[in-house]
Amino acid sequence: MIFFGVLLILVVIAQIAEFFIPPLDWMYHAHIYIVPVLVFYGAMALPFPLMLGLALWAGILLDALTVQVIGSKVEISLGWSILLYAVLAGIMHGLRPLFIRGRWEVHCLLTGLCTSSIILAQYLMITFRRGTFMFTKEVWWQIGGPGLMAMLMAPVIFWMLNWIARMTRYPYLPERIFE
Amino acid sequence: MNRTSIIALLIFGAILGYFLSFGADTTRKFQASIYQMLSPFFSTGSSVQKQITSVRTGLKSLEELEKENAALNVDNRQLRATNQALRDVEHEVNRLRHALNYRERSVFKLIPAEIVTRDASTWWHTVTVNRGKEDHIETDMPVVTDEGLVGKTTTVSNTISVVLLVTDENCKVASSVEGTREQGIVSGERVSGGLAPLLDLNFLTKQANLQPGQKAYTSGVGGVFPSGLFLGTVKSFKVRELDGQAKLAPAVDLSHLEDVFVVTGRK
Repeated sequence: MIFFGVLLILVVIAQIAEFFIPPLDWMYHAHIYIVPVLVFYGAMALPFPLMLGLALWAGILLDALTVQVIGSKVEISLGWSILLYAVLAGIMHGLRPLFIRGRWEVHCLLTGLCTSSIILAQYLMITFRRGTFMFTKEVWWQIGGPGLMAMLMAPVIFWMLNWIARMTRYPYLPERIFE
Repeated sequence: MNRTSIIALLIFGAILGYFLSFGADTTRKFQASIYQMLSPFFSTGSSVQKQITSVRTGLKSLEELEKENAALNVDNRQLRATNQALRDVEHEVNRLRHALNYRERSVFKLIPAEIVTRDASTWWHTVTVNRGKEDHIETDMPVVTDEGLVGKTTTVSNTISVVLLVTDENCKVASSVEGTREQGIVSGERVSGGLAPLLDLNFLTKQANLQPGQKAYTSGVGGVFPSGLFLGTVKSFKVRELDGQAKLAPAVDLSHLEDVFVVTGRK
C-alpha cells in the first residue's frame, strides 16, 4: 500500500510538472505527458482494484485541470479521462504476465501507443462537439509526438518506479512473484 | 475475476457515473476546488520556473550585451521621437474631443495578474493567473494587456483563475475591422503547429477584401468583451463559399506573456 500511495503522490507531482514543461516546437508544439507513463506502470505492477484506483485518481486530476467549461457547456464531461485511463490500463494489465517475465519493451511501446490514444480520443471528442473533421500534419504530430516521448521516457521511469517499489518492499514486484 | 475485483469494478463504475453526471456549474465548482487545492504548488512551480528562466537568459556574452545596448539606444531614440509625436497628437485629440463634445473616453477597472501556468493540454489554449474570487474576479471577465485582448476567465477559484486565450477555438469574439463596416467573429484555430498561432476572422462579407495590415478590434457585441480592444492584424483574406475569412496575427504575443490585467468593470 505504501507503493500505491507513492504512485498517487507521483501522479499529482507529474500532473503539476506537465504545466511547466514547455511544448516541443520541433515536434509541431507537441506536449510531454508523464502521468500516463505512471498510470500504465501502475497497470502492470498493481493488482486490478488498485489499478482502477490509480486510473480514477489520474483521470480526475486530468479532467479537473484541463477540461473546458464554456458558459453552460462542458466540452468533454468530467469522467471521460477516468474511463479512458481505466480501459487502456485494463489492456496493459492484461499483458502483465509478459512484464512479470521481464519483457518490458512491449509495455514501453504500448505506453506510447496508449498515451497517443488518450490524446486521439480527446481530439475525436472535441471534433465531434465542434464539427469540421480535419487531420493535418500538425494534428498527427500533436497526437503522435507525446506518444513517442512517452515511449522514450518509459524505460527510465519504469526503472525508477521499480527501484521505488523495491525500496518500499512492494510485494507485487515481478521478481518476487517469480520467487 | 475474483470477488474483490468485481466489487472494485462496481465501486469504480458508481464513481465514474457520479462524475459523468456533473453539469457545467458542478464541473466548474469541482475544477475551482482542485485548482484552489493545488494553487500553492502552482505558485511555487511558477517562481522556480521564473528563476530558472532568468538564470538562463541572464547568461549573455559581452558581445551580446554590446549588441543589446546598441539596439536599446536606437529604441530609446525612436521612443523619444514617438513620444513627442504622440504628445502632439494627444493635444490635437483633446482639442477635437472638446470641440465635438465627445464623451469622456471610457476607462476600465483593471486588476493586475501574473501568469502562473500555461496550458498543459494539447487541445485547449489556457493559462492560469494568480487572481481569483478574493480579488473580485468572476467567470467571463475579459483579460487584456496594454497590447490588446488576451482572453476571458472561465473557471475561477478563490486565489487562482483559468483564462481561455483568444487563440482557442472556443473563445469567440465579436469583431470589427478598422476603416470598414465589416463585422465578424474571431476565434482561434483548433490546431496550431507553432508558438505563434493565428486567429480566424469569420463571417465577413465576400466583398470585404481586407488588406494585410488592417487592424481588428472587439466590437462589443455579445456583452463579454467591451468594444475597442485590439485583437490582431490582418495577414490574409480569402473568399469562401458563403462568406469571407481573414487570418489575423494576434495583437498579444501569448507565448511570452507574463503579466496581464483582468477587466472587472468600468470606472
